[in-house]
Amino acid sequence: MNLSYLLKTTVAAIVLSATAAHADVKFGALYPFSGQLALLGEESARGLEIAVDEINAAGGIQGEKVVLVRGDAVDNNQAIGEARRLISLEQVAAIFGTYSSARSIAASQVAELSDIPYFELGAVADEVTGRGLKYLFRTNPYAADMGKMIVDMVADKIAPGIGKKPEELKIGIIYEDSSYGTSVSTHQANYAKEKGLNVVVSSGYPAATVDMSSLVLELKQAGVDVVLQTSYQNDSVLFLQQANEAGYKPAAVIGGGGGYSMQPTADAVGHDVIDGVLDVDFTQYLVNTKATPGLEAFIEAYKAKYGSAPRSGHSLNNYVGAKAILKAIGKTEGFEPDTIVEAVKVMDIPDGATAAGYGIKFGENNQNERAAMMGMQWQGGKLVTVYPDAAATAPMQFAD
Amino acid sequence: MDTFLQVLASGLMLGALFAIVSIGLTLIFGIVKVVNFAHGEFLMIGMYLVYLITAKLGLHPLVTVVAVAPLLFLVGVATQRLIIQPLMSARDDHIQIFATVGLSTALINLALLIFGADIANTPPGGLRMPIQIGPARVLLGQVIILLASAALVIGLQLFLQRTQTGRAIRAVAQNRAAAQLMGINVNRIYMLAFGIGAACVGFAAAMVAPLYPTSPTIGTYFVLTAFVVVVLGGLGSIGGAFAGAMIIGLIDSFAGFYIGSDLREVAVFGVFLLILILKPSGLFSERLNLSHVSP
Repeated sequence: MNLSYLLKTTVAAIVLSATAAHADVKFGALYPFSGQLALLGEESARGLEIAVDEINAAGGIQGEKVVLVRGDAVDNNQAIGEARRLISLEQVAAIFGTYSSARSIAASQVAELSDIPYFELGAVADEVTGRGLKYLFRTNPYAADMGKMIVDMVADKIAPGIGKKPEELKIGIIYEDSSYGTSVSTHQANYAKEKGLNVVVSSGYPAATVDMSSLVLELKQAGVDVVLQTSYQNDSVLFLQQANEAGYKPAAVIGGGGGYSMQPTADAVGHDVIDGVLDVDFTQYLVNTKATPGLEAFIEAYKAKYGSAPRSGHSLNNYVGAKAILKAIGKTEGFEPDTIVEAVKVMDIPDGATAAGYGIKFGENNQNERAAMMGMQWQGGKLVTVYPDAAATAPMQFAD
Repeated sequence: MDTFLQVLASGLMLGALFAIVSIGLTLIFGIVKVVNFAHGEFLMIGMYLVYLITAKLGLHPLVTVVAVAPLLFLVGVATQRLIIQPLMSARDDHIQIFATVGLSTALINLALLIFGADIANTPPGGLRMPIQIGPARVLLGQVIILLASAALVIGLQLFLQRTQTGRAIRAVAQNRAAAQLMGINVNRIYMLAFGIGAACVGFAAAMVAPLYPTSPTIGTYFVLTAFVVVVLGGLGSIGGAFAGAMIIGLIDSFAGFYIGSDLREVAVFGVFLLILILKPSGLFSERLNLSHVSP
C-alpha cells in the first residue's frame, strides 16, 4: 500500500463522513431519563420529541432533518458529563432540556463554556436565567411568574369571590424549605406586599416531614383565610389531609405546582377533600383551547406516538418551547452558535398564539418575558383551568 | 389550654409513630451491632406489600400484618445471611455500614423501577377517622399505632427475658465469643435477631401504610429520626427507644407550634445533642457497647 492510496482513502473517508453529518442536524435532549426524576423527565422529553417530529414532517430546518441525541441527566454530575459528551462527541448544534433546575444549572455551565446554545424548556428556579449566561435561553415560566400569578389570583379573583377586600384577607404562606419552596415563597411575600395584602404567617418546613399538625394548628389559630403552599407531593398530601382532619377549612388553598397538579395527589387526599383547592402551574389540558391554539393537535400527536394521554403539562410546555425555537432556527442560515443566538433573540410570538397560551420573546437574562402560568382548581376530581378568564373552562368555585 | 392539649396529643401520636418504626432498628443494633441504614427501606418494602395486598385482595390493612411481618422476617434473615454475615469478621466494622448503605440505595432504585416515582395509596380502611378525646382530636389509626407500639415493646421484653431463645440472644449481645463458647450458634442467633428486627418493621408497615402515602423514598423520611430515637434511648434498649421516640415526638410537636415549624428540627437535634453531651450512652443504656466483642 503506497502513500497516495492511503491519502486518497483518508480524503474519501473524511468527505463521506462530512456529507453524512451534513444530511442531519443534531440536537441534544438532556433530561433525567432514569432515577428519581425519571417520570416527569421522560414526560418533558416527549414534548420535545413531538416538536421534532412535526418539524421533520414539514421538511426539517434549513432543509435538514433534525435528529435528537439523548443524554441522561440522572444527577448533577452526570448532567455535566452528558452535556460534555453531547457537545464534544456528538457535536450537537444546541441542547434542549432539562426539567430539573439543579441539572439545568449544572449542565448549562458546560454549554456556556463551549459556546453551545442551551434551551431550557421546563426548569423553574430563578438561578437558571439569573446568572447572566450568554447562550442560555428559557422559554417556560419560572418561580417569579408562579409567585406573581398566585398573588394576582388572590387579589383579583378570590377576594371578590368570598366578598372581602384583598387587604382584609389573612394570608398564610407555607413552603418546603429547599431552594424551590423558598424562592417561590419569597416572590409571593414580596409581591403580596406590593399589592398591599396582609401576610400573617410565613413558615417553612422540611419536605421530608411526616407531621404537619403543628403547622396546621398555627394557621388555624392565626385565622388564616388563604393558604399558599409551595410543596412536593408527599407534603401536599400531608397538609391537605391533616388540615381536613383537624377541621381547618380556610376560604382558599392555593398550591404552587409540584404535588398539587397531579392526579395521584387528588386520589390520595380524596376527591371530596381536594375539591375546590386551587393550583398555579404550567398550562394543563383542561383549558379553553381558544387561548391555546394547537393544543388539541398536540394531544392527538401525543396519543398517536405514545398510546396514552399526556401525563402532565410538562410535555406540552416543552413542546411549545422546542417548536418555537426550532422554527426560529429554521428561518436563519447555518447552525453556528452565534447564528442560532441571533435567530432566537429576534423571536416575537404574541400571547395566545401557542399551544400553552403564552407568547415568546426573550427579555432580560434571556428569560421569556411573556411566559405565564395558569390558575386551576380541583372540581369533581379533575383539575380545570379557572384563571385567567380567557383560558378558563369553568368558573372558580368558592366554599359557602 | 385546649391548644396545649391538642399539641400534646399530636406529639404523643407522632412519638408513637417514631417508636413503632424504631424498635426494630434498636433490636438489630443492640444484638447484631450493625448500623442498618437500609432500615427505612425495609419499612418501604413493608408498606408496598401492605399496599399490594390491600389493593389486590381487598383486605383490611391491619389484617395484612399476618403476611407482611413474616415476609419482612425473611427479608431480614436474608440480609443478615447474604450481606452482613460474610462481612461479620471484617477487621473494620464500618464495612457493614457501607454494605447497608449500598443495600438502601439499591432497594430505593429497585422500587423506582418496579413502582415508579409516583405515590401509592393504601386504602385507609376507616383508620383515618378522627376521634375526639376531650379537647384533642386524633386519628383512630394513630391511637392504634400507640397501643401497638406499647404492646410490641412489652412483647419483645418478655420474649428476651423469659424464653430460652431470648436469653441466648441477650448472651450473644453481651459477648459474642463467650456465648459461642457456651454452645450458642451465634450465626443463627444473628439471623434470628435481624429477622425479628425486620419483622418489627413489617408490623409497623401495616399500621403506617394506611396513614401515609407509600413512595420509594418514604423510608428516608423516617430513618434519620429513627436513628436519633435509638441513640437517644440507648443503643439496643427497646424500652429506651420507646421513651426516646416519645421525647422526640413531643419536642417536635411543641417546637413546631410554639417556636415555628422551620425551627422544629433545630429544637429536636439541639436537645439530642444536649442529651448526648450529658449522657453519651443514651438515656436508658448503662454503657456504650459498639464492638462485637464486649470489654
